[in-house]
Amino acid sequence: MNEPILTSNNVSMTFGGVKAVQNVSLSIERDSITSIIGPNGAGKTTFFNVISGVYKPTGGNVEFDGTDITNLRQHVISHLGMARTFQNIRLFAQLDNVRNVQSALDARADYNIFQAVLGLPKKHRVDKANYVIAMECLDLVGLKDFANDRPSSLPYGMQRKLELARALAADPKLLLLDEPAAGLNPKEVEEFIELIRRIKDIKRLTILLIEHRIKVVTTLSSKVYVLNFGQLLAQGTSEEVQSNPAVIEAYMGEDEEEETVCSK
Amino acid sequence: MTYNETVILNVMINMVAVISMFTLMGLTGIFSMGQASFMCIGAYVAGLLATKTDVPFLFTLIFAVIGGMLFAFVVGIPIMRLRRDYVALITLAFGEAIVAVLNTFSNVTGGAMGINRIPRNINLWIGAGILAIVIYIILNFKDSKFGRQCIAVKNDEISAASMGINVTRIKMTAFILAGGLTALSGAMLAYTTSYIDPNSFGAARSIDWIGIVFIGGINSMSGSIVITLIFSVLSETLRTTSALRTLIQSLIILLIINFVPNGLFGEHEFKDIPKAFRKRMSRLSANARKREKK
Repeated sequence: MNEPILTSNNVSMTFGGVKAVQNVSLSIERDSITSIIGPNGAGKTTFFNVISGVYKPTGGNVEFDGTDITNLRQHVISHLGMARTFQNIRLFAQLDNVRNVQSALDARADYNIFQAVLGLPKKHRVDKANYVIAMECLDLVGLKDFANDRPSSLPYGMQRKLELARALAADPKLLLLDEPAAGLNPKEVEEFIELIRRIKDIKRLTILLIEHRIKVVTTLSSKVYVLNFGQLLAQGTSEEVQSNPAVIEAYMGEDEEEETVCSK
Repeated sequence: MTYNETVILNVMINMVAVISMFTLMGLTGIFSMGQASFMCIGAYVAGLLATKTDVPFLFTLIFAVIGGMLFAFVVGIPIMRLRRDYVALITLAFGEAIVAVLNTFSNVTGGAMGINRIPRNINLWIGAGILAIVIYIILNFKDSKFGRQCIAVKNDEISAASMGINVTRIKMTAFILAGGLTALSGAMLAYTTSYIDPNSFGAARSIDWIGIVFIGGINSMSGSIVITLIFSVLSETLRTTSALRTLIQSLIILLIINFVPNGLFGEHEFKDIPKAFRKRMSRLSANARKREKK
């Protein structure tokens, strides 16, 4: 019935001798929120980079919405309907906020170079329409008042929202969020969870997120995958995963001393 | 053509060339150390057509632009996939290679003797017309999806690609556009000086342009134009004392780097000046009011 929007079959990624991701197979259901968790260096971000096309996997294949995207380039995958944010926020510093969001629409804008350099009406029409959409996306994340500022003038939490708005402007079917709540204070995390819920309802999209905050994972996601040392350690609902002894061991280590690590 | 006309035309030619460098380096972040070789190509296409065939003037300009674009396309295919630092090296090598080829390939190009007696078909009005068209084209380019994608690619390639921007393609677009415009400036040069030889199109010229774009403001075409004007005026008025000229130029560069590190115009264009001025005035008056309250 409901076939998964994204499946990865035995995906591996090695850098020289480092096996960052090994034989990871998972599938993401449509209209769900799925989380990937795991200790630092478990290969979560590498896995994201593989499915979004930054890296070509050294083994296995990835299928997105019925298309094999294993060897496709980043922008092609984006046009198929996948958008992402980055762990270490990557906004365009020299474009103002609304233009940052518009960049996703510019990549899809329907006019050619001659219409652009000659300033023909079609260019102005398309640009104007895209500007309106970009403003709507900004409004959705609550940044409408900062449309003409630069990303660098925004506080950290707002930069994360801006990146989210930019990804939404691409009108994706699948949204990849790489540690979207990192660096946010508890109040901002609450807001953020609300925001993700609202966006999912409005845009009807599937969300895959990497997260460290247990709160975000447990409240949002219907399914959780746990990565450790590049391998899939466990999967299931958040309760199942939290009570899984292998997961507890991976997070806390075997030494009692390291218990503090899990408190975040 | 009087001496003064030649001087003014040379300023316009430099402006066209610097504007093309602005598109490439300012907007897209591609360091082309061999951009002057496109000027060379344009000059030779126009020069050869004008001396050896009877193609009409306007068409020689168009052929020069097409020639520059073709060269940019052929060179760009391998280069635009490389990392930025390699791009600088390879364009440098390509530029020097063009000069070497023209120097040795003497039965068509005249070798180091260059091409003589190119008709001086250009005048101030034609020059101003071409400059106006180029400015119009590049302002529109900057303010379109292409310009914004160029800046996005310059700022962060991975992020740009993840938004669906075809990075290689947008770089190629900028490179070809700049190649065509630089070639156009070369054609103008051929008609202005009536004599061209390959040796005046080396890397030093490209590096001059890069410098001008930098101190003019990396995202500002207006800045590039103003700095070109200032430097051209300097080099004309101080033609006899070139040591003094270098001194003054260096001083200007140092002052700009020290006081406006983002370049003279930063990221603004001429049309932003009234807005920026009003903003500054309102900020000043707001500050004054604050002080009064205290």
